[in-house]
Amino acid sequence: MPLIIKDEYPEKLFRKDGKRLDGRERNELRPIKMEVGVIKNADGSAYLEWGNNKIYAAVYGPREVHPHHLAKPDRGILRVFYRMATYSVFDRKRPAPGRREKEISMIISDCIEPVLFLELYPGTSFEVFIEVMDADGGTRCASVTVAALALADAGIPMKSLVTAVAVGKIDKEIVVDLSGIEDKAGEADLPYAITWFNEEISLLQFDGDMDLDELNKFLDLAKNALTSIYQIQLETLKSKFLKLSEEPSIEKEEALIEGEK
Amino acid sequence: MMDIKRIISKIEKNYIKSNLKKGERIDGRGLWEYRDFKIESDIIASAEGSADVLLGDTRIITGLKYDVGTPFPDLPNEGVCTVMAELLPLASPLFERGPPDEQSIELARVVDRGIRHADCVQTKKLCIKEKEAVYILFVDMYVINHAGNLIDAGGVGALTTLISAHIPEGIIGENGLEWTGKYLTGETLVKELPLVTTYGKIDDIIFLDPNLPEELVSEGRISISTTESKITSIQKSGVATFSIEEIKMLCKDSMEKSKKLRKELNLLQYLNKTD
Repeated sequence: MPLIIKDEYPEKLFRKDGKRLDGRERNELRPIKMEVGVIKNADGSAYLEWGNNKIYAAVYGPREVHPHHLAKPDRGILRVFYRMATYSVFDRKRPAPGRREKEISMIISDCIEPVLFLELYPGTSFEVFIEVMDADGGTRCASVTVAALALADAGIPMKSLVTAVAVGKIDKEIVVDLSGIEDKAGEADLPYAITWFNEEISLLQFDGDMDLDELNKFLDLAKNALTSIYQIQLETLKSKFLKLSEEPSIEKEEALIEGEK
Repeated sequence: MMDIKRIISKIEKNYIKSNLKKGERIDGRGLWEYRDFKIESDIIASAEGSADVLLGDTRIITGLKYDVGTPFPDLPNEGVCTVMAELLPLASPLFERGPPDEQSIELARVVDRGIRHADCVQTKKLCIKEKEAVYILFVDMYVINHAGNLIDAGGVGALTTLISAHIPEGIIGENGLEWTGKYLTGETLVKELPLVTTYGKIDDIIFLDPNLPEELVSEGRISISTTESKITSIQKSGVATFSIEEIKMLCKDSMEKSKKLRKELNLLQYLNKTD
Protein backbone atom coordinates (compact mmCIF):
# COMPACT_ATOMS: atom_id res chain seq x y z
CA MET A 1 0.00 0.00 0.00
CA PRO A 2 1.30 3.47 -0.79
CA LEU A 3 2.06 6.15 1.76
CA ILE A 4 -0.57 8.86 1.96
CA ILE A 5 1.60 11.74 0.74
CA LYS A 6 3.25 10.80 -2.55
CA ASP A 7 6.98 11.30 -3.00
CA GLU A 8 6.72 13.57 -6.04
CA TYR A 9 9.39 15.63 -7.74
CA PRO A 10 8.90 19.25 -8.81
CA GLU A 11 9.08 20.07 -12.53
CA LYS A 12 11.57 22.88 -12.12
CA LEU A 13 14.57 22.81 -9.82
CA PHE A 14 15.23 26.55 -9.96
CA ARG A 15 13.05 29.31 -8.59
CA LYS A 16 12.02 32.36 -10.59
CA ASP A 17 14.80 34.41 -9.03
CA GLY A 18 17.37 31.96 -10.41
CA LYS A 19 18.17 30.39 -7.07
CA ARG A 20 17.76 26.73 -6.23
CA LEU A 21 14.62 25.44 -4.48
CA ASP A 22 16.21 25.77 -1.04
CA GLY A 23 17.42 29.30 -1.85
CA ARG A 24 21.04 28.43 -2.61
CA GLU A 25 23.26 29.73 -5.38
CA ARG A 26 24.73 27.21 -7.84
CA ASN A 27 28.07 27.01 -6.03
CA GLU A 28 26.69 27.27 -2.51
CA LEU A 29 26.86 24.44 0.02
CA ARG A 30 24.14 23.61 2.50
CA PRO A 31 24.86 24.59 6.13
CA ILE A 32 27.40 22.20 7.66
CA LYS A 33 27.93 21.51 11.36
CA MET A 34 30.49 19.07 12.75
CA GLU A 35 31.31 17.79 16.20
CA VAL A 36 33.79 15.20 17.50
CA GLY A 37 33.76 12.95 20.56
CA VAL A 38 29.97 12.59 20.59
CA ILE A 39 29.90 8.86 21.43
CA LYS A 40 31.66 8.24 24.72
CA ASN A 41 32.04 4.46 24.37
CA ALA A 42 33.85 4.68 21.04
CA ASP A 43 37.59 5.18 20.56
CA GLY A 44 36.74 8.06 18.27
CA SER A 45 33.50 9.53 17.02
CA ALA A 46 32.01 12.39 15.08
CA TYR A 47 28.65 13.87 14.22
CA LEU A 48 27.80 15.73 11.05
CA GLU A 49 24.80 17.81 10.13
CA TRP A 50 24.88 18.65 6.46
CA GLY A 51 21.63 20.31 5.44
CA ASN A 52 19.04 17.82 6.62
CA ASN A 53 21.54 14.95 6.74
CA LYS A 54 22.31 13.84 10.27
CA ILE A 55 25.10 11.29 10.50
CA TYR A 56 27.02 9.67 13.35
CA ALA A 57 30.32 7.87 12.93
CA ALA A 58 32.19 5.82 15.53
CA VAL A 59 35.60 4.18 15.30
CA TYR A 60 36.71 1.13 17.26
CA GLY A 61 40.27 -0.04 16.91
CA PRO A 62 42.88 -1.18 16.58
CA ARG A 63 41.22 -4.29 17.98
CA GLU A 64 41.07 -8.04 17.50
CA VAL A 65 39.51 -9.18 14.24
CA HIS A 66 36.20 -11.02 14.30
CA PRO A 67 35.87 -13.39 12.48
CA HIS A 68 39.50 -14.27 12.96
CA HIS A 69 40.21 -15.54 9.44
CA LEU A 70 39.86 -11.99 8.08
CA ALA A 71 42.98 -10.90 9.95
CA LYS A 72 46.09 -10.25 7.86
CA PRO A 73 49.48 -11.16 9.36
CA ASP A 74 51.32 -8.23 7.78
CA ARG A 75 48.82 -5.40 8.18
CA GLY A 76 45.66 -4.18 9.83
CA ILE A 77 42.33 -4.14 8.05
CA LEU A 78 39.77 -1.36 7.75
CA ARG A 79 36.10 -2.24 7.80
CA VAL A 80 33.41 0.33 7.21
CA PHE A 81 29.75 -0.26 7.88
CA TYR A 82 27.43 2.35 6.43
CA ARG A 83 23.84 1.98 7.59
CA MET A 84 20.68 4.02 7.35
CA ALA A 85 18.03 4.23 10.04
CA THR A 86 14.60 2.98 9.01
CA TYR A 87 13.14 6.45 9.54
CA SER A 88 15.89 8.37 7.75
CA VAL A 89 14.11 8.25 4.40
CA PHE A 90 10.66 8.97 2.95
CA ASP A 91 9.50 5.34 2.70
CA ARG A 92 10.47 3.33 5.76
CA LYS A 93 13.66 1.46 4.95
CA ARG A 94 13.80 -2.22 5.82
CA PRO A 95 15.88 -2.72 8.96
CA ALA A 96 18.32 -5.24 7.46
CA PRO A 97 21.24 -3.81 5.44
CA GLY A 98 20.51 -3.79 1.73
CA ARG A 99 22.69 -4.03 -1.38
CA ARG A 100 23.02 -0.26 -1.60
CA GLU A 101 24.35 0.01 1.97
CA LYS A 102 26.86 -2.78 1.38
CA GLU A 103 28.18 -1.19 -1.78
CA ILE A 104 28.48 2.24 -0.21
CA SER A 105 30.28 0.72 2.80
CA MET A 106 32.86 -0.74 0.45
CA ILE A 107 33.22 2.49 -1.54
CA ILE A 108 33.79 4.49 1.65
CA SER A 109 36.27 1.95 2.99
CA ASP A 110 38.28 2.06 -0.25
CA CYS A 111 38.13 5.84 -0.17
CA ILE A 112 39.53 6.21 3.35
CA GLU A 113 42.10 3.41 3.43
CA PRO A 114 44.81 5.31 1.47
CA VAL A 115 45.26 7.80 4.33
CA LEU A 116 45.83 5.16 7.02
CA PHE A 117 49.07 3.40 7.97
CA LEU A 118 47.50 -0.04 8.19
CA GLU A 119 50.89 -1.75 7.78
CA LEU A 120 51.72 -0.55 11.31
CA TYR A 121 48.93 -2.61 12.86
CA PRO A 122 49.35 -6.25 11.74
CA GLY A 123 46.63 -8.67 12.75
CA THR A 124 44.16 -6.01 13.91
CA SER A 125 41.10 -4.28 12.57
CA PHE A 126 39.74 -0.76 12.56
CA GLU A 127 36.00 -0.64 12.40
CA VAL A 128 34.12 2.46 11.35
CA PHE A 129 30.38 2.45 11.96
CA ILE A 130 28.40 5.10 10.12
CA GLU A 131 24.76 5.60 11.00
CA VAL A 132 22.62 7.87 8.88
CA MET A 133 19.85 9.08 11.17
CA ASP A 134 18.31 11.51 8.68
CA ALA A 135 19.01 11.52 4.95
CA ASP A 136 18.57 14.25 2.36
CA GLY A 137 20.91 13.57 -0.55
CA GLY A 138 24.68 13.22 -0.52
CA THR A 139 24.91 10.82 2.41
CA ARG A 140 27.87 8.90 1.00
CA CYS A 141 29.94 12.08 0.68
CA ALA A 142 28.86 13.25 4.11
CA SER A 143 29.74 9.80 5.48
CA VAL A 144 33.28 9.93 4.09
CA THR A 145 33.74 13.38 5.61
CA VAL A 146 32.44 12.38 9.04
CA ALA A 147 34.29 9.03 9.06
CA ALA A 148 37.62 10.79 8.45
CA LEU A 149 36.85 13.09 11.35
CA ALA A 150 36.03 10.16 13.65
CA LEU A 151 39.30 8.41 12.73
CA ALA A 152 41.22 11.59 13.54
CA ASP A 153 39.30 11.90 16.82
CA ALA A 154 40.37 8.34 17.69
CA GLY A 155 43.99 9.48 17.42
CA ILE A 156 44.77 7.03 14.64
CA PRO A 157 47.80 8.13 12.59
CA MET A 158 46.65 9.46 9.23
CA LYS A 159 48.45 10.93 6.25
CA SER A 160 45.70 13.53 5.99
CA LEU A 161 41.97 13.95 6.23
CA VAL A 162 39.59 12.95 3.45
CA THR A 163 36.78 15.20 2.27
CA ALA A 164 33.94 14.47 -0.11
CA VAL A 165 31.22 16.39 -1.89
CA ALA A 166 28.84 15.72 -4.76
CA VAL A 167 28.46 17.91 -7.81
CA GLY A 168 25.77 17.43 -10.38
CA LYS A 169 23.56 18.78 -13.08
CA ILE A 170 19.99 19.96 -12.53
CA ASP A 171 17.86 21.54 -15.25
CA LYS A 172 21.03 21.56 -17.41
CA GLU A 173 22.91 23.72 -14.89
CA ILE A 174 25.96 22.57 -13.00
CA VAL A 175 25.57 22.83 -9.22
CA VAL A 176 27.39 21.71 -6.09
CA ASP A 177 26.08 19.63 -3.17
CA LEU A 178 22.82 18.16 -4.47
CA SER A 179 19.94 17.99 -2.02
CA GLY A 180 17.65 14.95 -1.92
CA ILE A 181 15.16 16.38 -4.41
CA GLU A 182 17.91 17.61 -6.74
CA ASP A 183 19.55 14.22 -6.62
CA LYS A 184 16.37 12.38 -7.57
CA ALA A 185 15.04 14.85 -10.15
CA GLY A 186 18.38 16.05 -11.55
CA GLU A 187 20.25 14.78 -14.59
CA ALA A 188 23.67 13.96 -13.23
CA ASP A 189 25.36 13.26 -9.93
CA LEU A 190 29.09 12.96 -9.29
CA PRO A 191 30.25 12.12 -5.76
CA TYR A 192 33.89 13.02 -5.38
CA ALA A 193 36.42 12.68 -2.54
CA ILE A 194 39.94 13.91 -2.16
CA THR A 195 42.82 12.69 0.03
CA TRP A 196 44.60 15.87 1.01
CA PHE A 197 48.12 14.44 1.47
CA ASN A 198 48.46 13.93 -2.28
CA GLU A 199 45.42 15.93 -3.41
CA GLU A 200 44.22 12.98 -5.46
CA ILE A 201 40.79 11.59 -6.09
CA SER A 202 39.89 8.74 -3.75
CA LEU A 203 36.21 8.32 -4.45
CA LEU A 204 34.57 8.89 -7.78
CA GLN A 205 31.24 7.76 -9.06
CA PHE A 206 29.07 9.19 -11.76
CA ASP A 207 25.52 8.68 -12.91
CA GLY A 208 23.83 10.68 -15.62
CA ASP A 209 25.24 12.29 -18.73
CA MET A 210 27.95 14.87 -19.35
CA ASP A 211 30.41 15.92 -22.03
CA LEU A 212 34.14 16.48 -21.56
CA ASP A 213 33.69 20.21 -21.08
CA GLU A 214 31.20 19.60 -18.31
CA LEU A 215 33.59 17.16 -16.64
CA ASN A 216 36.13 19.96 -16.29
CA LYS A 217 33.51 22.23 -14.78
CA PHE A 218 32.38 19.52 -12.38
CA LEU A 219 35.89 18.94 -11.11
CA ASP A 220 36.64 22.65 -10.68
CA LEU A 221 33.44 23.28 -8.80
CA ALA A 222 34.02 20.27 -6.54
CA LYS A 223 37.57 21.35 -5.71
CA ASN A 224 36.41 24.74 -4.42
CA ALA A 225 33.65 23.21 -2.32
CA LEU A 226 36.00 20.57 -0.90
CA THR A 227 38.44 23.22 0.28
CA SER A 228 35.78 24.97 2.34
CA ILE A 229 34.48 21.70 3.84
CA TYR A 230 38.07 20.71 4.68
CA GLN A 231 38.43 23.97 6.63
CA ILE A 232 35.39 23.08 8.75
CA GLN A 233 36.87 19.63 9.43
CA LEU A 234 40.16 21.19 10.54
CA GLU A 235 38.44 23.80 12.70
CA THR A 236 36.36 21.09 14.40
CA LEU A 237 39.47 19.09 15.30
CA LYS A 238 41.38 22.19 16.37
CA SER A 239 38.60 23.33 18.67
CA LYS A 240 38.61 19.90 20.33
CA PHE A 241 42.31 20.20 21.16
CA LEU A 242 41.96 23.84 22.18
CA LYS A 243 39.28 22.78 24.65
CA LEU A 244 41.58 20.05 25.98
CA SER A 245 44.44 22.51 26.43
CA GLU A 246 42.18 24.93 28.29
CA GLU A 247 41.20 22.29 30.82
CA PRO A 248 43.37 22.58 33.94
CA SER A 249 45.94 19.79 33.85
CA ILE A 250 47.95 18.53 36.80
CA GLU A 251 51.20 19.90 35.41
CA LYS A 252 49.67 23.33 34.95
CA GLU A 253 48.29 23.38 38.47
CA GLU A 254 51.63 22.28 39.83
CA ALA A 255 53.31 25.03 37.87
CA LEU A 256 50.87 27.52 39.34
CA ILE A 257 51.56 26.34 42.88
CA GLU A 258 55.31 26.56 42.20
CA GLY A 259 54.77 30.09 40.94
CA GLU A 260 52.88 31.11 44.07
CA LYS A 261 55.71 29.91 46.24
CA MET B 1 35.09 6.01 32.75
CA MET B 2 35.43 2.36 33.54
CA ASP B 3 36.77 0.23 30.71
CA ILE B 4 34.00 -1.60 28.96
CA LYS B 5 34.54 -5.32 29.06
CA ARG B 6 32.12 -8.18 28.98
CA ILE B 7 33.71 -9.65 32.06
CA ILE B 8 34.21 -7.40 35.06
CA SER B 9 37.08 -8.23 37.40
CA LYS B 10 36.36 -9.56 40.90
CA ILE B 11 37.95 -6.46 42.41
CA GLU B 12 35.68 -4.12 40.48
CA LYS B 13 32.69 -6.29 41.25
CA ASN B 14 33.45 -6.29 44.96
CA TYR B 15 34.01 -2.55 44.88
CA ILE B 16 30.63 -1.93 43.29
CA LYS B 17 28.97 -4.39 45.68
CA SER B 18 30.51 -3.03 48.86
CA ASN B 19 29.56 0.48 47.82
CA LEU B 20 25.98 -0.56 47.16
CA LYS B 21 25.84 -2.21 50.59
CA LYS B 22 26.72 1.16 52.09
CA GLY B 23 23.94 2.69 50.01
CA GLU B 24 26.44 4.39 47.70
CA ARG B 25 26.95 4.09 44.00
CA ILE B 26 30.01 4.55 41.83
CA ASP B 27 28.45 7.53 40.07
CA GLY B 28 27.49 9.22 43.35
CA ARG B 29 23.76 8.55 43.20
CA GLY B 30 21.57 7.17 45.94
CA LEU B 31 20.09 3.68 45.50
CA TRP B 32 16.69 5.02 44.42
CA GLU B 33 17.74 7.85 42.17
CA TYR B 34 17.57 8.20 38.41
CA ARG B 35 20.34 9.69 36.33
CA ASP B 36 19.31 12.88 34.54
CA PHE B 37 17.04 12.64 31.51
CA LYS B 38 17.60 14.98 28.58
CA ILE B 39 15.02 14.94 25.83
CA GLU B 40 14.80 16.56 22.42
CA SER B 41 11.88 15.86 20.14
CA ASP B 42 11.14 16.04 16.44
CA ILE B 43 14.80 16.09 15.42
CA ILE B 44 14.50 13.88 12.31
CA ALA B 45 12.98 15.68 9.34
CA SER B 46 12.27 12.47 7.41
CA ALA B 47 10.41 10.83 10.29
CA GLU B 48 6.79 11.46 11.27
CA GLY B 49 7.89 11.92 14.88
CA SER B 50 11.17 11.44 16.71
CA ALA B 51 13.02 11.79 19.98
CA ASP B 52 16.61 11.93 21.17
CA VAL B 53 16.74 10.73 24.76
CA LEU B 54 19.73 10.81 27.07
CA LEU B 55 19.63 8.98 30.39
CA GLY B 56 23.02 9.82 31.87
CA ASP B 57 25.33 8.74 29.06
CA THR B 58 22.87 6.25 27.58
CA ARG B 59 21.50 7.67 24.39
CA ILE B 60 18.71 6.40 22.15
CA ILE B 61 17.34 8.07 19.02
CA THR B 62 13.84 6.94 18.13
CA GLY B 63 11.85 7.68 15.00
CA LEU B 64 8.34 7.04 13.75
CA LYS B 65 7.35 5.91 10.25
CA TYR B 66 3.97 4.76 9.05
CA ASP B 67 2.48 2.59 6.38
CA VAL B 68 -1.09 1.81 5.39
CA GLY B 69 -2.19 -1.81 5.47
CA THR B 70 -5.19 -4.05 6.02
CA PRO B 71 -6.26 -4.58 9.64
CA PHE B 72 -6.17 -7.90 11.48
CA PRO B 73 -9.49 -9.75 10.86
CA ASP B 74 -10.29 -9.87 14.59
CA LEU B 75 -9.65 -6.11 15.03
CA PRO B 76 -11.14 -4.66 11.81
CA ASN B 77 -11.20 -1.05 12.99
CA GLU B 78 -7.87 -0.82 14.78
CA GLY B 79 -4.46 0.22 13.55
CA VAL B 80 -1.20 -1.36 14.63
CA CYS B 81 1.81 0.03 16.47
CA THR B 82 5.06 -1.93 16.47
CA VAL B 83 8.31 -1.24 18.27
CA MET B 84 11.75 -2.24 17.02
CA ALA B 85 15.14 -1.74 18.65
CA GLU B 86 18.62 -1.94 17.26
CA LEU B 87 21.73 -2.11 19.42
CA LEU B 88 24.14 -0.46 17.02
CA PRO B 89 27.74 -1.69 17.13
CA LEU B 90 28.57 2.02 17.07
CA ALA B 91 27.13 2.38 20.57
CA SER B 92 29.32 -0.03 22.49
CA PRO B 93 32.09 -2.59 21.99
CA LEU B 94 29.66 -5.06 23.59
CA PHE B 95 27.29 -4.87 20.63
CA GLU B 96 27.93 -6.90 17.53
CA ARG B 97 26.74 -6.57 13.97
CA GLY B 98 24.13 -8.85 12.55
CA PRO B 99 20.45 -9.60 12.94
CA PRO B 100 18.75 -8.51 16.19
CA ASP B 101 19.91 -10.61 19.13
CA GLU B 102 17.87 -11.51 22.22
CA GLN B 103 18.95 -8.36 24.06
CA SER B 104 17.62 -6.01 21.38
CA ILE B 105 14.45 -8.07 20.98
CA GLU B 106 13.86 -7.93 24.72
CA LEU B 107 14.35 -4.15 24.72
CA ALA B 108 11.85 -3.71 21.91
CA ARG B 109 9.32 -6.09 23.42
CA VAL B 110 9.43 -4.72 26.95
CA VAL B 111 8.98 -1.17 25.65
CA ASP B 112 6.25 -2.37 23.27
CA ARG B 113 4.32 -4.20 25.99
CA GLY B 114 4.51 -1.23 28.31
CA ILE B 115 2.83 0.88 25.64
CA ARG B 116 0.46 -1.75 24.25
CA HIS B 117 -1.27 -2.66 27.50
CA ALA B 118 -1.60 0.88 28.79
CA ASP B 119 -4.32 2.37 26.58
CA CYS B 120 -1.58 4.65 25.30
CA VAL B 121 -1.85 4.51 21.50
CA GLN B 122 -5.47 4.99 20.43
CA THR B 123 -5.48 2.27 17.80
CA LYS B 124 -9.10 3.01 16.82
CA LYS B 125 -7.97 6.49 15.72
CA LEU B 126 -5.54 4.72 13.38
CA CYS B 127 -8.38 3.28 11.31
CA ILE B 128 -8.90 4.84 7.87
CA LYS B 129 -11.67 2.50 6.69
CA GLU B 130 -13.01 -0.46 8.62
CA LYS B 131 -11.78 -3.86 7.36
CA GLU B 132 -9.85 -2.13 4.57
CA ALA B 133 -7.23 0.35 5.59
CA VAL B 134 -5.50 1.14 8.86
CA TYR B 135 -2.23 2.80 9.81
CA ILE B 136 0.70 0.65 10.79
CA LEU B 137 3.09 2.63 12.96
CA PHE B 138 6.74 1.71 13.27
CA VAL B 139 8.54 3.05 16.31
CA ASP B 140 12.20 2.27 15.70
CA MET B 141 14.81 2.78 18.41
CA TYR B 142 18.51 3.10 17.68
CA VAL B 143 20.95 2.94 20.58
CA ILE B 144 23.69 5.53 20.00
CA ASN B 145 25.58 5.10 23.28
CA HIS B 146 25.14 2.28 25.79
CA ALA B 147 25.76 3.21 29.41
CA GLY B 148 23.19 0.94 31.03
CA ASN B 149 19.41 0.74 31.44
CA LEU B 150 18.38 0.90 27.80
CA ILE B 151 14.82 -0.09 28.70
CA ASP B 152 13.89 3.04 30.67
CA ALA B 153 15.56 5.32 28.12
CA GLY B 154 13.81 3.44 25.30
CA GLY B 155 10.45 3.71 27.06
CA VAL B 156 10.74 7.47 27.32
CA GLY B 157 12.06 7.64 23.74
CA ALA B 158 9.20 5.62 22.27
CA LEU B 159 6.58 7.57 24.19
CA THR B 160 8.05 10.96 23.28
CA THR B 161 8.21 9.87 19.64
CA LEU B 162 4.51 8.97 19.66
CA ILE B 163 3.64 12.24 21.40
CA SER B 164 5.60 14.22 18.79
CA ALA B 165 3.83 12.38 15.94
CA HIS B 166 2.52 14.20 12.86
CA ILE B 167 1.07 11.61 10.52
CA PRO B 168 -0.74 12.73 7.35
CA GLU B 169 -4.45 12.07 7.74
CA GLY B 170 -5.81 9.85 5.00
CA ILE B 171 -9.29 9.01 3.75
CA ILE B 172 -10.52 6.55 1.16
CA GLY B 173 -11.85 8.80 -1.61
CA GLU B 174 -12.90 8.15 -5.19
CA ASN B 175 -9.33 7.59 -6.31
CA GLY B 176 -8.41 5.41 -3.40
CA LEU B 177 -6.28 6.69 -0.58
CA GLU B 178 -6.10 10.49 -0.34
CA TRP B 179 -4.55 13.01 1.99
CA THR B 180 -6.96 15.38 3.71
CA GLY B 181 -4.23 17.98 4.14
CA LYS B 182 -4.39 17.56 7.92
CA TYR B 183 -2.21 15.63 10.32
CA LEU B 184 -2.90 13.19 13.12
CA THR B 185 -0.85 14.33 16.09
CA GLY B 186 0.01 12.96 19.50
CA GLU B 187 -2.98 14.82 20.83
CA THR B 188 -5.39 12.36 19.15
CA LEU B 189 -3.09 9.34 19.14
CA VAL B 190 -1.84 9.19 22.72
CA LYS B 191 -3.90 8.92 25.90
CA GLU B 192 -2.14 7.28 28.84
CA LEU B 193 1.57 7.93 29.41
CA PRO B 194 3.16 4.65 30.50
CA LEU B 195 6.70 4.80 31.87
CA VAL B 196 8.95 1.90 32.65
CA THR B 197 11.23 1.80 35.68
CA THR B 198 14.03 -0.75 35.90
CA TYR B 199 15.67 -2.02 39.07
CA GLY B 200 18.88 -4.03 39.28
CA LYS B 201 19.65 -6.66 41.89
CA ILE B 202 22.98 -7.81 43.31
CA ASP B 203 22.80 -10.27 46.22
CA ASP B 204 19.93 -8.80 48.23
CA ILE B 205 20.54 -5.18 47.25
CA ILE B 206 18.07 -3.56 44.89
CA PHE B 207 18.62 -0.23 43.17
CA LEU B 208 16.97 1.93 40.52
CA ASP B 209 18.33 2.67 37.05
CA PRO B 210 21.47 0.48 36.85
CA ASN B 211 24.37 2.04 34.97
CA LEU B 212 26.55 -0.13 32.74
CA PRO B 213 29.08 -1.43 35.30
CA GLU B 214 26.23 -2.15 37.72
CA GLU B 215 24.30 -3.89 34.95
CA LEU B 216 27.30 -6.05 34.12
CA VAL B 217 27.82 -7.22 37.72
CA SER B 218 24.15 -7.54 38.68
CA GLU B 219 22.46 -10.91 38.64
CA GLY B 220 19.23 -9.67 37.22
CA ARG B 221 16.76 -6.88 36.93
CA ILE B 222 13.09 -6.16 36.89
CA SER B 223 11.32 -3.66 34.68
CA ILE B 224 7.88 -2.43 35.68
CA SER B 225 5.69 -0.33 33.39
CA THR B 226 3.06 1.79 35.03
CA THR B 227 0.52 4.42 34.11
CA GLU B 228 -0.91 6.96 36.52
CA SER B 229 -3.13 4.35 38.20
CA LYS B 230 -2.17 0.89 36.90
CA ILE B 231 0.71 -1.52 36.49
CA THR B 232 0.68 -2.54 32.85
CA SER B 233 3.66 -4.77 32.29
CA ILE B 234 6.44 -6.48 34.24
CA GLN B 235 9.57 -8.17 33.00
CA LYS B 236 12.00 -9.97 35.25
CA SER B 237 15.20 -10.92 33.51
CA GLY B 238 18.52 -12.36 34.50
CA VAL B 239 19.12 -15.12 37.02
CA ALA B 240 18.26 -13.10 40.14
CA THR B 241 15.23 -14.16 42.15
CA PHE B 242 12.91 -11.78 43.99
CA SER B 243 10.84 -12.39 47.11
CA ILE B 244 7.13 -11.62 47.13
CA GLU B 245 7.76 -8.72 49.53
CA GLU B 246 10.37 -7.30 47.19
CA ILE B 247 8.00 -7.45 44.23
CA LYS B 248 5.27 -5.69 46.19
CA MET B 249 7.70 -3.05 47.35
CA LEU B 250 9.08 -2.51 43.84
CA CYS B 251 5.64 -2.25 42.25
CA LYS B 252 4.71 0.41 44.79
CA ASP B 253 7.99 2.24 44.27
CA SER B 254 7.60 2.03 40.50
CA MET B 255 4.17 3.68 40.67
CA GLU B 256 5.61 6.50 42.77
CA LYS B 257 8.77 6.91 40.70
CA SER B 258 6.96 7.03 37.37
CA LYS B 259 4.35 9.42 38.75
CA LYS B 260 7.16 11.76 39.79
CA LEU B 261 8.98 11.27 36.50
CA ARG B 262 5.84 11.97 34.47
CA LYS B 263 5.53 15.28 36.26
CA GLU B 264 9.20 16.18 35.89
CA LEU B 265 9.56 15.23 32.24
CA ASN B 266 6.22 16.78 31.25
CA LEU B 267 6.26 14.82 27.99
CA LEU B 268 3.13 16.49 26.64
CA GLN B 269 5.23 19.58 25.97
CA TYR B 270 6.56 17.66 22.95
CA LEU B 271 3.15 17.57 21.24
CA ASN B 272 3.43 18.62 17.62
CA LYS B 273 1.31 21.57 16.63
CA THR B 274 1.33 21.21 12.83
CA ASP B 275 -2.38 21.94 12.47
